[in-house]
Amino acid sequence: MNLQNIQWKIHLADGSAPNVHEWFKALGTWIPDSPEVFVDVADYSHVQDGPVIFLSGHNVAYSLDGTGRRLGLLYERRQPAEGSNAEKLNESFTSTLQHAALLEADGTFKNKPKFLVGDVKFFVNNRGIAPNKDATFATLKPELEALLNKVYGAGAYTLTREPDTRQRFTVHVKAKAAVSVAEALKKLA
Amino acid sequence: MSQQELYTSDAAKYWKEALSGKITPLWKMNVDEFESDIALKKMGKIDHKLFAETRLRMGAYGQRYDNGHRYDGKTVRNIPFPEAFKGPDTYWDAPGMQRIKLPWGGLSADQMDLFADLAEEYSDGICHITTRQAIQLHYIHIENCPSMYRRLGALGITTREACGNAVRNVSADPMTGVSPTEVFDVTPYAQAMFEFLLGHPDAQDFGRKFKIAFSGDKEGSSGLVNIHDLGLIAKMKDGKRGFEFYVGGGLGAVPYSAHLFSDFVSEDEILPLAQAVCRVYARLGEKKKRHRARIKFLVADMGFEKFRETVLEARAKLPFDPTWAAYIKDLNRLDEKPSRPAGNGVWPIAATGDAEYDFWVKTNVKQQSQAGYAAVIVTLPLGDITSNQMRDLAAICRKYIKDSVRTVVEQNLLVRWVSQNDLPAFYADLKAIGLHLPGAESILDVTACPGTDTCKLGVSSSRGLAGELRKQLAEKSTHMDDAVRNLRIKISGCFNSCSHHHIADIGFYGISRNVAGYVVPHFQMVLGGQFQHNGGTYGIGVGGIASKAVPGVVEKITGMYSQHRRPDENFHAWVERTGKATIMQSLQDIIEVPPYETDKSYYVDWGDVREYSVKDKGMGECAGEVVTLTDFGLKAADRELFEGQLRFESGDVVSAGSRAYNGMVLAAQALLKLNDIDISSNPDIVMERFTKEFHDTGVFNDPFAGPKFAQYYFQAHTHRGQGLDKDKTSLFLHEAQLFVEAAHSCYARMSMADASTSSATV
Repeated sequence: MNLQNIQWKIHLADGSAPNVHEWFKALGTWIPDSPEVFVDVADYSHVQDGPVIFLSGHNVAYSLDGTGRRLGLLYERRQPAEGSNAEKLNESFTSTLQHAALLEADGTFKNKPKFLVGDVKFFVNNRGIAPNKDATFATLKPELEALLNKVYGAGAYTLTREPDTRQRFTVHVKAKAAVSVAEALKKLA
Repeated sequence: MSQQELYTSDAAKYWKEALSGKITPLWKMNVDEFESDIALKKMGKIDHKLFAETRLRMGAYGQRYDNGHRYDGKTVRNIPFPEAFKGPDTYWDAPGMQRIKLPWGGLSADQMDLFADLAEEYSDGICHITTRQAIQLHYIHIENCPSMYRRLGALGITTREACGNAVRNVSADPMTGVSPTEVFDVTPYAQAMFEFLLGHPDAQDFGRKFKIAFSGDKEGSSGLVNIHDLGLIAKMKDGKRGFEFYVGGGLGAVPYSAHLFSDFVSEDEILPLAQAVCRVYARLGEKKKRHRARIKFLVADMGFEKFRETVLEARAKLPFDPTWAAYIKDLNRLDEKPSRPAGNGVWPIAATGDAEYDFWVKTNVKQQSQAGYAAVIVTLPLGDITSNQMRDLAAICRKYIKDSVRTVVEQNLLVRWVSQNDLPAFYADLKAIGLHLPGAESILDVTACPGTDTCKLGVSSSRGLAGELRKQLAEKSTHMDDAVRNLRIKISGCFNSCSHHHIADIGFYGISRNVAGYVVPHFQMVLGGQFQHNGGTYGIGVGGIASKAVPGVVEKITGMYSQHRRPDENFHAWVERTGKATIMQSLQDIIEVPPYETDKSYYVDWGDVREYSVKDKGMGECAGEVVTLTDFGLKAADRELFEGQLRFESGDVVSAGSRAYNGMVLAAQALLKLNDIDISSNPDIVMERFTKEFHDTGVFNDPFAGPKFAQYYFQAHTHRGQGLDKDKTSLFLHEAQLFVEAAHSCYARMSMADASTSSATV
């Protein structure tokens, strides 16, 4: 499988309920200051179970995401990525963590967001190449484990595929021990 | 390898193969052609303007900032898109909006699941319901459009002519078929109109868009016939079905009420009469001055009686078409049926004591003409629903009803045929997914166009203001005076009236004002319009209000109305009696804009953090591009030739020759369309007419090569690209290319001489 449309969602720690106005402002500052081609920020805080604040971009989009009734930072690759699957997984997860680190350090927030790197969802948002089925999971699992072993250590996490086949391909990654954003980035470097 | 394969992903190939047998041949051809056009555009073989109109006719719009400029609160910055374009001043890589037509707003559970998937995979996880019963997805990349179109097509949905200068979505009152007050169900007629005019030759050469609406009920609201280019209201006469037939309504900056063209047009006559209207509009309507190109201006300029006479003459000349009345044999094919037993049929529904539920029943549940069933409005704040909510709602619909959901012009969903017995459980299921909001069709249910959020024309934040008003009004809604609660607020981001602000009790449209050297977001307030009677009365502009002052103004005006209205006096009558001057005078203490140094919040729009500016406003695409049938025909010739070249490269000489010849015929036919849009596609007739009108007259002669390129066509007509060996086919491809290029040059010369439409007749 030529892996495309990768998404990663790192959940926010419980108790760090977001101020959507601050998130809007923080993500908006990325537009001129990032090497990425970002376009605009949209506020969807009036709806449930979906994006809350969405930063649109050409190659990549980021959002404060409330899908599944859990808040987190969602990374979304929107354009075809090149390289091996291992490279794509590494690059995308690293980018997600780097942007989580930016948010954790952002002075815009009165209560700084705290991300749970040990509680992550991995998606392939492309039903054409990756239907949410066991077969897709079987195909991708070794490559996913190769990446996650670096971050959490072999056997130190569980992978659970979302059973609802209507959903995009989703794997819930749950680490047995807490990992900080900085530690995870160091292990991936 | 075909050109599509050069540019499409594994997923695109998957959808193309997996769905090829599930799409109608016509839609398959449309999507294949659009995919080819994307490839050709990337290769620089289609000009920006032509490609823009091509994609618009497939529903693929531009979006704010696609000109590569965005104001960041201090300065306008360039968005670093690569130098490639998909329209004039529209960057290729900039995300855009996809509008998807839903004739009469019909939506099945399977289609809802699909919309959830499409929004998730290609957009931002949000489906947006429009004020004309369509669905829009934002932040779409154009390369994803063909896959999206195929997936929609597999469930019977087309996006063709969702934008551009074409017949747009055919809308209808969402209560039709279940309304206790309607004359009859207009659904099959709206469907027939949609099918008849989609791609119809008489509806391909408009100067602007053309909107059609049906209503089963003259007094009702959601058909909104009065504001449409063409509108039909159900009527019975001598026991026969027909329609009151209206033409020439429209909102926009200056609203026009539709004219009653005929007080009764029988059901078998509505399609030919609509065709005649389209024919007259296509041939006599303005093409160059975009602001005068809607049919309402043609009617005004000609005078209604002259216009009517011209349409009737055109109708008399139309050659008979068996499809005009064929659909009447099968009028019941779209009839809906319940899936659950009827309730007790007692109406109004008795209060339960659960205040929250009872209020929802009061505002969101409507009686059906079928005893024991109710139509439930699912209120969507700002017209938005997330992918997961859409998916969950589809599952709920499967549990309680069959496929009987409709989109509503007030940006909600209407779930029909819910058994009255199921209402408490249905409500509980909606509540579990956050779709149980009360206040439908009330002052809480604020309608807003996309405005500055995503529209290139937006001046002020209509969605930001709508969200704020909804929040503030919701807090007071349960103890509101009913007369106030029943008012409608509609907000447009600019004067173009996409939210229908002219027919709101309280309407607003975005403007900007200069205050002591600062640009301040404002809204012009329009009071006293009427949503009822099919959008029967337009409001009057009262004055400009700073965006941040609008909530206070709404509170003040509704308070005045509640306090001073006479018994049974509606808002429109109260506004007329009170007068614009008195109303504005009473608002003086609220609407003054504080100096920048005192309160900077007035200088930032709702739903934004940037200091306000209009500097990143762009050029709109609502008007489409002025592109003639000849432009489209020459593009088709290019595409055919390109396909021929690819077939030749893959070794398929026979197909290559055939494609090349077809390209020549299409090019000749495109030129002939300048004089006759009904020109046959029969190659012999095309050849005969081309010879007579373009060769013998010397019009086609190249200034240097004379008739040389026409000779290539004459020779080709003898062999039609067949029976040639590889070398001869190669030569023939070159000749065909030269002929098509000569056709482009001829058209350019004629355009410069402004000779293009002078001989068009009705």
